[in-house]
Amino acid sequence: MRQAGTYSAILWGGLSGRRGGPHCLPLARIKKIMKKSGDDVKMISREAPIVFSKACELFIEELTQRSWMVTMQGKRRTLLKEDVASAVIATDIFDFLVNLVANNSCNSMDNPDQEINIRSKLI
Amino acid sequence: MVDNIGSYSCQKYNFAGASSASGEDGIMKEQDRLLPIANVGRIMKQILPPNAKISKEAKETMQECVSEFISFVTGEASDKCHKEKRKTVNGDDICWALATLGFDDYAEPLKREILS
Repeated sequence: MRQAGTYSAILWGGLSGRRGGPHCLPLARIKKIMKKSGDDVKMISREAPIVFSKACELFIEELTQRSWMVTMQGKRRTLLKEDVASAVIATDIFDFLVNLVANNSCNSMDNPDQEINIRSKLI
Repeated sequence: MVDNIGSYSCQKYNFAGASSASGEDGIMKEQDRLLPIANVGRIMKQILPPNAKISKEAKETMQECVSEFISFVTGEASDKCHKEKRKTVNGDDICWALATLGFDDYAEPLKREILS
């Protein structure tokens, strides 16, 4: 039997007190998305979606804060999807999202020159 | 020759191998592949100042980003399991993948939250 790793021990120790407690994000949905990420993702432990629930919360918080900085630079009070796109492009660890936000921008753009500007930033 | 090209095209676009969560030719329904916009919106709102507003499109973009984040990290964790000949992706693997992909800042808050 595989020896429990550091995080497993911490998780199980902590989770026994929180079993059935409310989580911010739906665990079943997280599990579905995990399964869809690849054909070789077949079995997922019980605590994996719980770890993701917190990790996603931290991810949303970080990306939101960075996006808000862009909003403030534009002297606005409404966070727009373009601000999210700018934050993604400006942050190394969000490189995996670059194509996603570029596709979103291109779909809604009327001005072809703007498209060229964004694409040149991605190179 | 022409026949070969034709059959190649068919194979290239055959998605029948991918399992479908809810019918519709292997395409996942929107509500299955994204986390609920209300939950995502709430987390965004909580981190922003009280006078901040968030456009609906920004929330939708965030939904997409989170799903991509889950896929990205899961893929890395799953690769590790595969290499180590294990079948189950566990919490350790997720934490390892997060650190490997540059999200090591999350490790401490994750540990603190899970222990509380």
